[in-house]
Amino acid sequence: MDKPGRAGASRRQFLAGVVGAGALAAMGEALAQAGEAAPPGTIGNDAIKAEKAKSMQFHSERPLTGSVPAHEHDFDVTPSERMFVRNNLLTPAIDIESHRLTLKGLVDKELSFSVFDLAKNFRSVSLQGMLECAGSGRSAFQPRASGTPWLETGGMGCPLWGGVRLRDLLRAAGLRPGAAHVAGHGGDPGMVPTAAPVIRSIPLSKAMEENTLVAWAMNERPLPFIHGYPLRLVVPGWVGSASTKWLHTLMVLDAPFKGTYMTGSYIVPRTPVAPGEKLPQDTMSAEAWPVKSIITFPAPGSRVRLGERIAVRGRAWVGEGSVERVEISTDEGKSWRNAELARRGDRYAWRRFILDYRPERAGYTTFLARAWDDRGNAQPAVPGWNPLGYFWNGWHRVGVVVEA
Amino acid sequence: MRHSLSIGLLAALPVMGWTQDRLISGPGSTLTENKCRICHELEHIRRAPLSRGEWADNLRNMKERGTPMSDAEMATILDYLSTYYNRDKPAPLPSPDTLASRDGVEGLIQKNGCAGCHALGEPLVGPSFRQVAAKYAEDGNAQGKLANKIRSGGQGVWGSVPMPPNPGLGDAELKTIVAWVLQQK
Repeated sequence: MDKPGRAGASRRQFLAGVVGAGALAAMGEALAQAGEAAPPGTIGNDAIKAEKAKSMQFHSERPLTGSVPAHEHDFDVTPSERMFVRNNLLTPAIDIESHRLTLKGLVDKELSFSVFDLAKNFRSVSLQGMLECAGSGRSAFQPRASGTPWLETGGMGCPLWGGVRLRDLLRAAGLRPGAAHVAGHGGDPGMVPTAAPVIRSIPLSKAMEENTLVAWAMNERPLPFIHGYPLRLVVPGWVGSASTKWLHTLMVLDAPFKGTYMTGSYIVPRTPVAPGEKLPQDTMSAEAWPVKSIITFPAPGSRVRLGERIAVRGRAWVGEGSVERVEISTDEGKSWRNAELARRGDRYAWRRFILDYRPERAGYTTFLARAWDDRGNAQPAVPGWNPLGYFWNGWHRVGVVVEA
Repeated sequence: MRHSLSIGLLAALPVMGWTQDRLISGPGSTLTENKCRICHELEHIRRAPLSRGEWADNLRNMKERGTPMSDAEMATILDYLSTYYNRDKPAPLPSPDTLASRDGVEGLIQKNGCAGCHALGEPLVGPSFRQVAAKYAEDGNAQGKLANKIRSGGQGVWGSVPMPPNPGLGDAELKTIVAWVLQQK
């Protein structure tokens, strides 16, 4: 997003942020050593939770996962304390001073940068972008699928990211013929020495997209430890696992990376399967999220007064393309009316929608939200079941009590 | 720094609560507990019963992700999970874990959770039994020291990784385990 005024100011802010991050690195060591049960060189769960909103619900401790429910997401820019938490392994305490990002593989020359080198040598950008765990909403699938039991509306967020474009780094290294995929290697350690490293790759076309970043800032602050400090990929719109945290190596490959996080997880059947069936042979990598929306106000179970207007509102997004329309139904889907959609912001940011509503009768009233994208796709009432429980994007339903 | 992390790190099996969390008792339950909770809570198993085919995929995935388990162990765990945590049929009543108590010392090592972190020849989370035996080979007081270490837990002998205490271990069982470990040269 080329916004000259904002880019200039942002650059200064992010540089300041990077300098400030040095102090944070020292803090990380201290936290790691103060340590409850945190292994050496890692950040314990208590320290991570202390930085999160009280409304965050933690779904598991090992690995740590947590999210806030939809009505706690009523923000255009997701505050860091409400950004979802999802690790595959442990949370490393990395020293920003000694951390290096290395580019290798099908490049003309291998390059290695400190975070400070990146800020100094490349154009800094700031943009808002959706990240959502592939399994977000998983607990709504029937039968239940294995994995983190994300709430129907948990596991996503849309903060402001700051960093440099991945394509600028790739161009600096020079792409060799045959370059087709870029793999990000994260520095999160496992519980056992045999733990497979977290490595995912994205197609070159997505790596070269102008919104794909190597980021060091979230909401104009250094990345929190749990969100990848000091450096991560941000591949907005795509499943969260594409956005490698604690990024230390980028490998340019001639094909998708072959490893468990590509071939055993984050895959969906190419042809839909019946609920409860196991994964078929023919699968494809989980990439962009389908169109989705959540109602962020009112909260479920709220009480509203008969005849008083309320602004039913929420957020809508899609992994590639754009949100064209959001509809609300107050009669369980018999009829729909268009909500007002806020002006489009950054390409991969969610959009606010509002419906001015005046309850016409007392009693329990429900709101359903259904978003449409620019390719004519709408959210389904119940999305297709898949064995690993990915891509839940069913209609979000919120009920309130109208008091006479 | 990253590389030094991976080995030092193994610690952190949260010492408290490590042995309290149990699955339904049945053939293979102890082995399943020991292997799965190296990396995650057992709630992940209870929450989402799967079909046998899905459990097979799941276990293959876990092995790829680095769970230290042999093919034979994986087969035992698959049988256990698809019996007691099967979406398509109700679980049978709990029964003794005959696989854990079957083979004398090896049963004890399974039953008491030792095998979650220690194997015969390869270091896992903790040192291998052979490494332990070698360390105490020249020590006249090896039996007492090792018994104390197993009973009370400890930290520092093999690095900063803590070993949880085993206060519930009977004297006879402890003696059997110590004698067996010290023979593994």
